[in-house]
Amino acid sequence: MRTGVFICQEDAEGWERINLHAVESYAANLPTVETVQILGFRPKLDPVALAEEIKRNRLDRIVIAGDSPGFFKPAFTRAMALAGGDTDEVRLASFREHGALGSGATVRAESIVACAVMGVPFSLAARPSTVATRPETLIIGGGIAGIQAALEIADAGKQVYLVERQPTIGGHMAMFDKTFPTLDCAACILTPKMVAVGQHQMIDLMTYAEVEHISGAPGAYKVRVRKRARHVDLEACVACGICSESCPRRSPSEFDMGIASRKAIYIPFPQAVPNAYVLDESSCLYFESNGQRCGVCAKKCPKQCIDLSQEDELVEFEVGNIVLATGYDVYDARRIERYGYGKLPNVFTALEFERMSNASGPTGGKIVTKTLKTNKRTKTEDWVLDPEGPAPSSVAIIHCVGSRDAQHNPYCSRVCCMYSLKFAHLVREKLPDATCYEFYIDMRAFGKGYEEFAERIAAEGTFVIRGRTAQVVEQDGRMVLKGEDIVNDRMVDTPVDMVILAVGLIPAHGSDRIAQMLGINRDEYGWFSELDYNADPTGTERGGVFVAGACQAPKDIPDTVAQASAVAAGVLKSVTTGRGPDSRAELSLSDIEMRARTLARV
Amino acid sequence: MAIRVNPKLIEELEIYGAEDVQNCYHCGNCSAMCPFSEEPYILPRRAMRNLQMGLEKKLESSLDPWLCYYCGQCTESCPRGAEPGETMMSLRRWLTSRYDFTGISRLFYRSGKFELAMVIGAAILTGLAFVLWGISRGSIHNYDPPNEFLARPTIHIFDWALAGVLLVLLLSNCTRMWWFTIGRDRSIRVPWTAYLRKLYLLPLHFLTQKRYAKCERKRPWLIHLILMISYLIMLVLIMFFLREMQGGPAIDWRVHIFGYIATVGLLGTTIFALRGRFKKSEPQYAHSHETDWLFLVLLILGAFTGILQHMLHRTGLDVAANITYIVHLMIVVPMLGLEVPFSKWSHLAYRPLAQYFAAVRAEAVARVPQKARAAVATPPVVG
Repeated sequence: MRTGVFICQEDAEGWERINLHAVESYAANLPTVETVQILGFRPKLDPVALAEEIKRNRLDRIVIAGDSPGFFKPAFTRAMALAGGDTDEVRLASFREHGALGSGATVRAESIVACAVMGVPFSLAARPSTVATRPETLIIGGGIAGIQAALEIADAGKQVYLVERQPTIGGHMAMFDKTFPTLDCAACILTPKMVAVGQHQMIDLMTYAEVEHISGAPGAYKVRVRKRARHVDLEACVACGICSESCPRRSPSEFDMGIASRKAIYIPFPQAVPNAYVLDESSCLYFESNGQRCGVCAKKCPKQCIDLSQEDELVEFEVGNIVLATGYDVYDARRIERYGYGKLPNVFTALEFERMSNASGPTGGKIVTKTLKTNKRTKTEDWVLDPEGPAPSSVAIIHCVGSRDAQHNPYCSRVCCMYSLKFAHLVREKLPDATCYEFYIDMRAFGKGYEEFAERIAAEGTFVIRGRTAQVVEQDGRMVLKGEDIVNDRMVDTPVDMVILAVGLIPAHGSDRIAQMLGINRDEYGWFSELDYNADPTGTERGGVFVAGACQAPKDIPDTVAQASAVAAGVLKSVTTGRGPDSRAELSLSDIEMRARTLARV
Repeated sequence: MAIRVNPKLIEELEIYGAEDVQNCYHCGNCSAMCPFSEEPYILPRRAMRNLQMGLEKKLESSLDPWLCYYCGQCTESCPRGAEPGETMMSLRRWLTSRYDFTGISRLFYRSGKFELAMVIGAAILTGLAFVLWGISRGSIHNYDPPNEFLARPTIHIFDWALAGVLLVLLLSNCTRMWWFTIGRDRSIRVPWTAYLRKLYLLPLHFLTQKRYAKCERKRPWLIHLILMISYLIMLVLIMFFLREMQGGPAIDWRVHIFGYIATVGLLGTTIFALRGRFKKSEPQYAHSHETDWLFLVLLILGAFTGILQHMLHRTGLDVAANITYIVHLMIVVPMLGLEVPFSKWSHLAYRPLAQYFAAVRAEAVARVPQKARAAVATPPVVG
């Protein structure tokens, strides 16, 4: 087949690593290639001129090569049709999608072009070979993704090491009150799984621990984990809470997103797994005074399980597979000043509201606004969340905070529309007299039962207004949202008592370090890159390293669970056969070429 | 009523400077950020929408672009980089070309080279005419009478003639503006008393530009006001006090003091604007159309030659003063003759007129019975 290769650039950056002229001369030397052209950055493509080009070179196949070549496909398809060729033979060689990112990007780009020229999907031709794999698995992150994968693998009788940074597993899902769209109780689904993890024979659970170093090769990774000093004996602690009662120090609770406080020795929430207290050195008086003062918890503990002299412990072990389930953080709403988060007391982020509406949260599930109270000790006035405080008479939820915004994150965070609708339902359920507004740009209710859920919320009497609010201002002691009601073509100034910002998702902090440690790619926003977008969404470039859940891209709970189970299937395949995937980088250009040629002949 | 859609409208607007309209996904951020967004004039998203849909007639009859002063808040907060502020600016250029019945304006905006060629052509013609006229009846060695090179009374007559032509052209454009925005709209009936009652808005907005002052950033308004007032002073001096202005060589402080003030104002603001456009220091300076550059360059050259001519005259270098005067005329005549009716300067009429028409229109709309006023008074729509 007479083939023409056209190299088009869509993205202004990220091309430094690819030597386009090397790719050009490589492609020109492929047997069927008639012409190779570098068209440059976002070329203005004229289908008529391209059709002439196709006719002149008598091309049967066109390969568009570049970072996001799909962007240019319509023009080439049109040209092919004008030239009377087969439009199915307009093929893409997507550099970015197939991982031509890090070192060796040029060789990878060449192999991608080679596959496209031969008309073979890259993922088929560049399937990594296998290596002998150890049976143990390391899972990093103990959220719902890590829990699900751990249980699936351990239930099959295989050893799992589950490492979690926080003192408890459960991740973000443990903070939620309800799940969308079924409005199931999140804890009722999650806590049995958490307990199962905690009790499982085959799961070695390491909480309050971080992976410090990973070395070795696919199939046999050496892992070093730092278990931070918890100062509480996990086996002996019965979570009676006497230590916490006697503790004199308070600091904002991480689990409650700072809307409530905890003691220096605390348990994140009553259903925590492992169900034991933890001492936070950074807020503890004993450690602040270098052991001179306090230490009252150790004296009061009836089980004598508090060891103030405990130090960090390093654990080393070997695993065959590694599952990344590091999840996400939320976008810092302070960065969008016009919404007033951090300045106006009753502007909350989604996770803060999630904790407030949770029956086991600091307000016992009551939705209240903050009240101004005088702190007796410091004589200052603070806004505090008091469970007996006034309920809001109107609540506004602003969608797409930090998402779909060229100045913040251009991508859609995927879960915000749905959880915002869930919030509206919770507000209306708990405060039937309250007015609730949803300000959205586009309602992305894409999943099973989601659209119906969106319609239900609107039918329940929530005002769903198309148009993103531009700013929240304070007028006469009330918050006023300024926005445009686009459907009705008018400006709206909505006075409300409470604003909830549907903040978007960003990769969890520290995922850059993990990517570096393992040598896997991250996309331009920092999410881990999967091996193949369509064909292998759980694997990575590195053999035996899998991604599950929101660390790959924003995902809701059903998708996360599904992906975690899929990862478990991949892990179990390698563990039961004793051979797992090797890194794709191990494949040489000639390997891929040869494979593609064989496949092309079939 | 049939609505005609022009699918090429966005491409057409690209020539006028609006390049990113297609990026807009209608979140309403810009309208809500805009200090001027008040019903029924919702800026600037409505214009973005009409543009995307190619509703040429609707845009043509819209006053919105003239109600925007390009403070740039919309552009700065736009989540899609769709440049709503620049779109409004481009729409003003486009509207200017629409109001102009001769089609010259359209040619100017579509091709900067054409405009430049026209300006140069007019300059050469002006120069030639004045030189021939000067030689025919005076001596280049004399600036002052008798036997002066450029006689004041005749220049004065020429000024008034030029002003008359420009006024006729501008007025015809303004009439078209009225026809597009109010006249042809059958849905409203404007009581003639409204035209009278709102008439005060014309001088008010012309002289104070108080709407511009509503923008959060005050500096652009101040700069613009100084430029406008200086220009106005110059205009009055030339139209009514040319005899004293051109007299001399002694300085007539009763008149010249105003000339000096105006010159300082003109030079200062033009240099500021040029520097701003060069450095792209403010949002409204970030994108410069060819016409913007030409406008500023002509303005600064005009001011500069004016000063030079005045100084040369005082120092007794009559030949040089006469030549500079010719050059000055070669700049000022094309600048006024071409820019006032056909290009950027026409906004001196359209801006206050838009305020006036908007107020008149709003009054007429208010008289339409509630029921007929579509989609204005509905409560927030429920899903």
